[in-house]
Amino acid sequence: MTELERALTVLGREVDVPEAPDLAVVVLARLERGPRPRTRRRLALAVAFVVLAALAATLAIPEARSAFFRVFEIGGERIELVDELPAVAPAPTELDLELVLGERVTLDKARGEAGFDLRELDEVPDRVYLGSRGTVWFLFGTPERVRLLVAQTPRHSFAQDFMLKKLAGAGTRIEPVAVSGSPGLFLSGEPHVVLLLDSEGQVVDESARLAQQVLVWENDGVAYRLEGDFDKEKALRLARALR
Amino acid sequence: MYQAIAFRTAYLLTGSSADAEDAAQTGFVKAWAALPRFRPGAPFRPWLLRIVANEAHNRRRSARRRAELQLRTTAAYPQGDAAPSPEGAALGRERREELLAAVNRLDERDRDVLTCRYFLELSEDETADVLGVRRGTVKSRTARALARLAEAVER
Repeated sequence: MTELERALTVLGREVDVPEAPDLAVVVLARLERGPRPRTRRRLALAVAFVVLAALAATLAIPEARSAFFRVFEIGGERIELVDELPAVAPAPTELDLELVLGERVTLDKARGEAGFDLRELDEVPDRVYLGSRGTVWFLFGTPERVRLLVAQTPRHSFAQDFMLKKLAGAGTRIEPVAVSGSPGLFLSGEPHVVLLLDSEGQVVDESARLAQQVLVWENDGVAYRLEGDFDKEKALRLARALR
Repeated sequence: MYQAIAFRTAYLLTGSSADAEDAAQTGFVKAWAALPRFRPGAPFRPWLLRIVANEAHNRRRSARRRAELQLRTTAAYPQGDAAPSPEGAALGRERREELLAAVNRLDERDRDVLTCRYFLELSEDETADVLGVRRGTVKSRTARALARLAEAVER
């Protein structure tokens, strides 16, 4: 770098630039006023919005605190960054887990009743559940010692009935990832809390089964979620193996 | 975080606080609408800044000229904000004012590339994205702009 270039860099830091106004409120108001996109477009935008928000979060800069950057949506899941997490429920008992996951069924029954083509790993799950919102759960391990949870949820029932709301603390790292070309998020670090809001607005604490890393993505109208004690690379390998 | 860099970019390109705020706001709205076209994994900042810079250029064209940039006065440094660096102090206020005046007199193309590279401290790749030109063009424009600036300062 020449002396002139160095002088310009120093100069740039001393140019009188007014303090940036808070743009989030106005931008959100302008977005609200805009034409309501059609459903498919809304979906595309919601998925894409993840990229914007997740990048802000990945960089983990404290100023990324405006409403514009604090909410993520993907596959019907809404993830909010919060300053303080609610208390996380203790480790689940078998009963808790079954209450949360739904009715225990055979794999064949799940295939028949899912209403969409279930994706499966080479390894057969130890337990299968049919849950609310049409979610099919594969549990690997035992309820007391879950190795891996796989959730597959058709999107059509999401917005009408339930909203899954995750509260992620400031220490939760949220990274945008691509799973076979579909955008997704990898959540790691500090625990996050999952709340399920039903159509009446009642909150069901779903965090009992949650405490580990999570990979969420969406493909062909189905939201996928992997939860387990894995790193990002392993999660992505598992996601790609889910066929 | 993106708000600050978006506003700073727009301000340095327009020299007007009102235009910068408007350009940054519109840039965010347009970026949101354009997100489906954003390639996951691509660097986000230059993509956003290019949209904001386009908005800033539109406003600058409407105003027909860019307001001149000014140096902060010593009193204008908010508490806790970066005070003039030791290098900045060494550069001397008079020299800095001369240099900024020379930058202000450059034509739009030269000023934009120097603004991106040195005032916004963007890399050549980022600058290419923001200005919508190739990296080689950024290199050649920067070299020419620096030469013209050096000549102007030496006069």
